[in-house]
Amino acid sequence: MSTATRDTAFAQPQDIPDAAPSLLRRTARGLRRFARRSPMSAFWACIAAAIIGMAVAAPVVAPYDPLKSDFRAMTKPPSERHYFGSDQIGRDTLSRVIHASRASLTVAIGAVVLGTTLGALWGLACGYFGGRFDIISQRIIEFLQSFPDLILAMAIAMALGAGMGTVIVAIAITRIPFGGRVIRAVVLSVKEMAYVEAARGLGASHLRIMAQHILPQCLAPYLILATTHLGVAIIIEASLGFLGVGIPPPTPTWGNMLADSLNAGLVPPWWLVLFPGAAITVTVLAFNLLGDGIRDILDPRLRGAV
Amino acid sequence: MYGYIVRRLAFGALAVIGVSVVVFVVLRVLPGDPLVAIFGSEGFTKLSEAERARYMADLGLSDPLPVQYVHWVYDITRGNLGHSFFRAESVAEMIARRGPLTAEIALISVVLSWIVGIPVAVISALRPNSWADNISRFLSILFLAVPGFWLGMLIVLGLLFVFGYRAPLAGVSLFVDPWANLQIVIGPAIVLGLGQGAYIARMARSSLLEVIREDYIRTARAKGLNRRLVVALHALPNALLPVVTLSGILLGFVLAGSIPVERAFGTPGLGYAMAIAVSERDVFVMQNLVFLYAIVFVVLNILVDLISAWLDPRIRYG
Repeated sequence: MSTATRDTAFAQPQDIPDAAPSLLRRTARGLRRFARRSPMSAFWACIAAAIIGMAVAAPVVAPYDPLKSDFRAMTKPPSERHYFGSDQIGRDTLSRVIHASRASLTVAIGAVVLGTTLGALWGLACGYFGGRFDIISQRIIEFLQSFPDLILAMAIAMALGAGMGTVIVAIAITRIPFGGRVIRAVVLSVKEMAYVEAARGLGASHLRIMAQHILPQCLAPYLILATTHLGVAIIIEASLGFLGVGIPPPTPTWGNMLADSLNAGLVPPWWLVLFPGAAITVTVLAFNLLGDGIRDILDPRLRGAV
Repeated sequence: MYGYIVRRLAFGALAVIGVSVVVFVVLRVLPGDPLVAIFGSEGFTKLSEAERARYMADLGLSDPLPVQYVHWVYDITRGNLGHSFFRAESVAEMIARRGPLTAEIALISVVLSWIVGIPVAVISALRPNSWADNISRFLSILFLAVPGFWLGMLIVLGLLFVFGYRAPLAGVSLFVDPWANLQIVIGPAIVLGLGQGAYIARMARSSLLEVIREDYIRTARAKGLNRRLVVALHALPNALLPVVTLSGILLGFVLAGSIPVERAFGTPGLGYAMAIAVSERDVFVMQNLVFLYAIVFVVLNILVDLISAWLDPRIRYG
């Protein structure tokens, strides 16, 4: 027991002075510092939070049921009854845009967390053990990176058949190489540090060294990677939906709404095109700028690298 | 240098083999039953047992997987890329007819991205944190967030509303009717070019900012050279090295990005064919097109590496 406490304290000395104030006050202080250091990203963080809030509270926020058609209001331009107009079978576009944020965000967050985590664990193992396992893994990662993201995601989504789970898996697989590469590089430098050697000298097992001493150092790069890739994931999800291999209708997603608008006649009504795309743009913008802010604060050296 | 080229080519060849395995696994092994992928689970249940067996035999799907893989690779090396399951046109004809349009779009978009991105980066980097810098940085961040296919749909709609104009729908070769060809190609090229331009501007700005602080730039300024000349002749050539690399990599991503963008514009290029193949679940066309795109991507990456090694001796000897 005493060895255990000693070597955790050894690994994370910075935790000791912070232990005094409550978690809530520490978070509040952190947020204030974040807002002072980069007001721009704090602003976009608020927008991102608002979008997530909108997705969670979609049934409450949306004025209509996104699936219910109103045959008295088919393909109607924006009006006081339907602020964003209605589509060819009379569904309210505003409600559909709001509900679509659920699918898009679930897919983006799910895919990024799944893909980056798998990649990070793989990278951890590669960096730590090295040798033949590492060489073979690096080749496999290289093969996965030999495809443009969208094409690999398209092929996987098509092969697995439509559905939310398959879209998440398809996008997650395209994120694995990034997690693998970055975390492996971090592990390669961390594992040479004196404290890791000390832990090994104390007789710690491989698993313990990886979990207790190396993994905490990977947290910052992991968070940076995950947040910077959210925007890309949202765009890939929208593209898959647009190409008809995303989440299938009637569940609204921004991508399949845009695809739907192309079927609304020879000339798609402008409100069916404008609003879902604007929602994608604002969301991606918010997540990208939030990611930039988080990267600058966690690790300024990585500016432009990830 | 020759050693470097040989090594890079060897890795490239390995990558092509690896890629072919990935494509085969994803499109032939993952779907479980390929007939489900072709007909959809609903259509599949409507087929009778005998029909299923006949389709399987016709398509060579009843062989063991390794045999199917070898057949596929053998067919490709013989130039036989197979037929669409739904159309008469062979995949090879499709590539020959539609490929040039997509290649044109990709190349024009790269040129446009430099024309837009580099001046913006120079203005930005010469006066960091000025209003011009802030505006151009915001624009580049904005264009990273705008989905290209949506911008394309907006452009099509806007042109139609304002000018009542619609780009011709039939594919025309550059050599037969250059004007019609340009009208088809320019829309997707602008959209894709702006997206890449944003990346280029960001990268060129940060690399120019680094180079401008170097001693040799100060020396050039100190001996009385005009500021513009220093930037154009001394700073830019060095600052553009990473931009060349980035641009080559982006070219590969543009090929993928042109799939939804061509769909949005209705451009009769290879990207649109891919969009159709994916929505029709045409596994055989997809398999060969995905493989083709991946090979192009691998080749582009090799070219990028060789060009940057040629431009920068530190890579060659490093």
